[in-house]
Amino acid sequence: MTSLPQPIGGAKKLGLVIDLDTCVGCHACAVNCKEWNTGGHHAPLPDYDKYGSEPDGVWFNRIHSYEAEGKADGCGGRTVNFPRSCLHCEQPECVTVCPTGASYKRAEDGIVLINTDICIGCKLCSWACPYGAREFDEDAGVMKKCTLCIDRIYNTTLPEAEREPACVATCPSRARHFGDFADPDSDVSKLVASRGGVDLMPELGYKPVNKYLPPRRATIPTRATEVPVRVGTGLGSALLTLVDRVLSR
Amino acid sequence: MTPASSVLLLTTLTGFGYGLLAWLGVFCAFGLLPASPWFMPIAVIIALAFASGGLLASTLHLGRPERAWRAFSQWRSSWLSREGVASILTYPPALAFAGLWFFAGPHTIPTRAAGLLAAVMGLGTVYCTAMIYASLKPIRQWNNKHTAPDYLIFALFSGAMLLAALLGLWRALDAVACVVAAVAALSAAIAKLAYWRFIDAQTPLTTLASATGLAAFGTVRPLDQPHFTENYILREMGYRIARKHAAKLRRIVLAIAFALPALLALIAALGILPILTAPLAVIFAGIGLFIERWLFFAEATHVSTIYYGRAV
Repeated sequence: MTSLPQPIGGAKKLGLVIDLDTCVGCHACAVNCKEWNTGGHHAPLPDYDKYGSEPDGVWFNRIHSYEAEGKADGCGGRTVNFPRSCLHCEQPECVTVCPTGASYKRAEDGIVLINTDICIGCKLCSWACPYGAREFDEDAGVMKKCTLCIDRIYNTTLPEAEREPACVATCPSRARHFGDFADPDSDVSKLVASRGGVDLMPELGYKPVNKYLPPRRATIPTRATEVPVRVGTGLGSALLTLVDRVLSR
Repeated sequence: MTPASSVLLLTTLTGFGYGLLAWLGVFCAFGLLPASPWFMPIAVIIALAFASGGLLASTLHLGRPERAWRAFSQWRSSWLSREGVASILTYPPALAFAGLWFFAGPHTIPTRAAGLLAAVMGLGTVYCTAMIYASLKPIRQWNNKHTAPDYLIFALFSGAMLLAALLGLWRALDAVACVVAAVAALSAAIAKLAYWRFIDAQTPLTTLASATGLAAFGTVRPLDQPHFTENYILREMGYRIARKHAAKLRRIVLAIAFALPALLALIAALGILPILTAPLAVIFAGIGLFIERWLFFAEATHVSTIYYGRAV
């Protein structure tokens, strides 16, 4: 059913926290995601024109890089690496527009998934997603998307420490965190509370579950500028000004 | 949004088909159609042929057309599913309308009732189609109060033109059908002008600062792209049309889709070669509306492309 599930008591709200302060833009999350998922739940993730001049393919993570400038905080302009993937929204219109029931949101943990066995490939879900999270598999003729590594997080054949999404497991700067947002005492909930995690495009009303932690404010102590004392003109006063400057250091 | 010919055909052809069906129902209720027993069966078959052609064309854009039947299941939440269900539910009253006209006669109450029911169902299907677009929040040019009324107005306009052409070929064209067609063309032109005025004055849905959660850091601009070539998002939703081309195409639409058909309908109303002018009007309307629908897609921007620094 593409109607959203009724909330059930004690249900988990699984998602990611992405730390824009520590993300170094290395694309490891995107690569490990592709590596895992091309053999996982949505396998394969095809590539087109692989060795040609216009390579293209299905990826669930896209790593942008932006420059933010304007509000001075000691650094002036700053570069922000920005990984973009499915936010597993609480109001996922990609689900409700689906005419077949292929797109659905799980009641028990909120993960948004696609049943590719009944997807007709109408692409309407990708039109309904403001975050550009869904990518169409041109080979299979069906839509694909981030599964939050559902085949890792519940995979009892993996050691318990590895039961987290591939993007989280691989991140070398620990910029990605996985957890349950329904639990106020979970690590991700605490992280969001302490660092002021934000929603992307909250004005559109999709209520994304994934949260982004804004870069920390740089607090570089700056010395108050001293106006050199200068009395009179001529070589003597210039010399005195120089002495004043040197001694002021 | 990248215009896909299958979807352009779907929306224009179903507009002609269901629009014709709607006018057949209304004209029959007022007793304005030729009383020949064969008129309605032929007219309804033409209407359903246009609508079915559009619906079949739409399956061409599916990745898995053999699974299209599954689209009838989610009518509780999906306008696309509702469109499919409504289109199927339109066939029984339309066929009953034609059958009752033929067997019970054109002026009986059941015939008129079936005609009006078919008209409502046909326009209901058009409304569902329109709502597929109107309900998409990420596309400001579609998600507004113009989209649904416009689709209904364009369907009624194209249907009126098709009815005039049909009556012209039947050698039964009177001034009423011609004036209805011309007024419909004028209404459609006004609706389209109002729509263009509206989308030109719209403000962007969001800012890159809000899309990246960096609003507290001032203005945000793209630095490095995540990939050097296109991906699905840019291919499907990153279509860009130069403003000067759009302006030219808008003038072409006004001329071909609305002005020429209206003029030809009025010439037909004067009794000048209706067998030729009325069908010519519907051909111009068809070409013009196809361009209009192409523009409806090409001028629509998807908010997700803001991540690539595009204007939305």
